[in-house]
Amino acid sequence: MTVDDVDAPAEPGPAPTGDDEVPRRARVLVAVVLVLLLVPGVVGFDLWPLTGWRLFSLSRDADQTRWVLLAVDAEGDRDVVSLEELPLGYRHAEWPMSELPGAGRARRDEVCQALLGAVVDARPGTTELVIARDHARLVEVDGEWVTKHDHEPFHSCEPAEVGR
Amino acid sequence: MSRATRWAVRARRAFDDALWGPETAARLVFVHTALSALIGVRIVAGSYRQLAETPPALVDPVPILGFLDRMPSAEVFVALQVVGGLAALAAVLRRHPRLAFAVAWVCYLVLAGLRGSRGKVLHNDLLLLWASAPFLLAPVDVDRRDPVPRRRYGWPIRVGIVVTALIYFFAGYHKLRRSGPSWAYGDNMRYIALWGPAIGSSGWEGIARWTGEHIWVARASGVFILGLELAYPVVVFVPKTRLWFAAGAVFLHVSTWFLLGLDYWAWAVTVPLLLVDWPAALARFRERRAGRAGAEARPATAG
Repeated sequence: MTVDDVDAPAEPGPAPTGDDEVPRRARVLVAVVLVLLLVPGVVGFDLWPLTGWRLFSLSRDADQTRWVLLAVDAEGDRDVVSLEELPLGYRHAEWPMSELPGAGRARRDEVCQALLGAVVDARPGTTELVIARDHARLVEVDGEWVTKHDHEPFHSCEPAEVGR
Repeated sequence: MSRATRWAVRARRAFDDALWGPETAARLVFVHTALSALIGVRIVAGSYRQLAETPPALVDPVPILGFLDRMPSAEVFVALQVVGGLAALAAVLRRHPRLAFAVAWVCYLVLAGLRGSRGKVLHNDLLLLWASAPFLLAPVDVDRRDPVPRRRYGWPIRVGIVVTALIYFFAGYHKLRRSGPSWAYGDNMRYIALWGPAIGSSGWEGIARWTGEHIWVARASGVFILGLELAYPVVVFVPKTRLWFAAGAVFLHVSTWFLLGLDYWAWAVTVPLLLVDWPAALARFRERRAGRAGAEARPATAG
């Protein structure tokens, strides 16, 4: 198939007749669609389904700070819990976590407790859940890229608090 | 007529043709039906009902669903999938196509909105939703054997192409605006590949690491992505480029899946559906095959 193939009309025919007009309501719909697409697109804001289409628009570098969950076991050892281990409804928890610095104690507890139940299901020996910032850095060591992590605890909760 | 006036007239004609230009009935019916089928697949095959388990504390409804304070029950998700799936099927079968398409589109909008009500702005379904919005009022009393390209058949397709071009352009525009041209030729793509996605995992871990470890591959990828996105409006005014841009978009989204495991297959299917005139391509293909068969038959007859 060539480019020419796809652009040609199926068959040439007689010229369109005078009744070949785009209806007024179609023009109104198109105007609404284009305005709703152009305004957030140009300004760059998100009010889903209106969006600025800022896909991967911030350059990434060797440093990255993410919000992570640390499960603490009976021995006090901490282990990162991947959100992929949790049910689908929990996989985007990083975004609610990222808003906790501006939230009050009650909201922080609410989010922590919401995550705790799923973490305890995935890691039954969990005695405490820590919400932490992970200041990670990619470094090249002998030709291999490795990630160095520095966890900064932010908030924690324990299973005993569930239902309190 | 002055030079400026002539340019203004030409520009006006170009924009008029971009939005309201003629297409054949066959192409309109094909695209309308294919978009209905794609919406139906996204509705039925999507993992939605598991979202019912999301704790209220982790629910952050998108603005159009701002009245919700928690996820609906699994039964509501299933009902939306059943109604939306059946409506999409009716639209494919051309049974009350306008109403059926509208019901499927709204169900899809709500389901995609619920999936995006967990804090992160999700774009996975938005290109299909936006590009198919003009088809909500697409003509349905269409004689698909009518070979005459007409404006009343063409506008939903033309507007869908304009919407698609704007979406890709904005994606590139915001990369330039927020990060500058070094987004493409700097180390950005290396780190995107090495860090991997925020959610999920690479579709092919080896290719992600390989891209990250070979800086020129990473830079070439960045230049390709940004160049493709910024150049996308060309498809609106230069129809001969559409096949190449459609192929570029498919390549972009397939490679994004390998690199980051991101589900953009709805974009990868929607773009070629809109940009390529499949009925015309099929007619040409059949014509050429018939021509070849005729040419092969002639010497045999003569001999």
